[in-house]
Amino acid sequence: MANDRLIFFWGRECPHCAKLHPIVTEASSELETPITELEVWHSEENAKLMRSYGDVIKKACGGSLGVPALYNERTKKALCGMRVTKEDILKWARE
Amino acid sequence: MTKEAMARKKVWRCNVCNDIHYGIKGPDVCPTCGARNAFALIDYPEAMKVILDQGERLDEEDKLLDVWERFAKDKPFKLNPDEEFVRQLARGELENERNHGLKYCPCRITTGDFVDDLDLICPCNFFIQPVYKETGECWCGLFVKR
Repeated sequence: MANDRLIFFWGRECPHCAKLHPIVTEASSELETPITELEVWHSEENAKLMRSYGDVIKKACGGSLGVPALYNERTKKALCGMRVTKEDILKWARE
Repeated sequence: MTKEAMARKKVWRCNVCNDIHYGIKGPDVCPTCGARNAFALIDYPEAMKVILDQGERLDEEDKLLDVWERFAKDKPFKLNPDEEFVRQLARGELENERNHGLKYCPCRITTGDFVDDLDLICPCNFFIQPVYKETGECWCGLFVKR
């Protein structure tokens, strides 16, 4: 369902996003619902979507919108930053 | 900086050397020529003409690295020693400047509010970030505690 996605918001020029990318891919392969990857610096549509979840993502990021960030549309919970682990992602997705 | 404080900023000109300052008041001592009490309010369009278009362009990776090194000199933080990582951030900022007008941190995302997004220009005020206090790195990892 379009509004029940697990979303990975990332930026093409963000080095932490590049580091987290393979971890997200690996976690995604173990989930029934694959993680949707949305690049935000080169797509205003994706940036707008990320901003629409801004209150939750900001809290997860420590105050401001940041990437890499993951947002669960079902639980409305977010993960943010370079220290997110595969275990964190699986727990967040399955909650 | 709050929007209220931003709204109070004006442009000031040194009447000795034409130094331009943007702030709530002009500096007591001109940082360029050393003149005291020399700053007078200047009309904004006039100030833009005084600046001419002679400001240096920081539009190359090496220039940004040099600026960041100088910014971190003698401070409690330093530039991340991983040069390729730092260059990747520099390329990201230059890309953001080309596409979005300012050197926004590539590890953030703009809110759409221009004044709020001024806080995302690199170097940001990372001392107030929880992540800097907890890990000793700014959000993107460009600067790390010594």
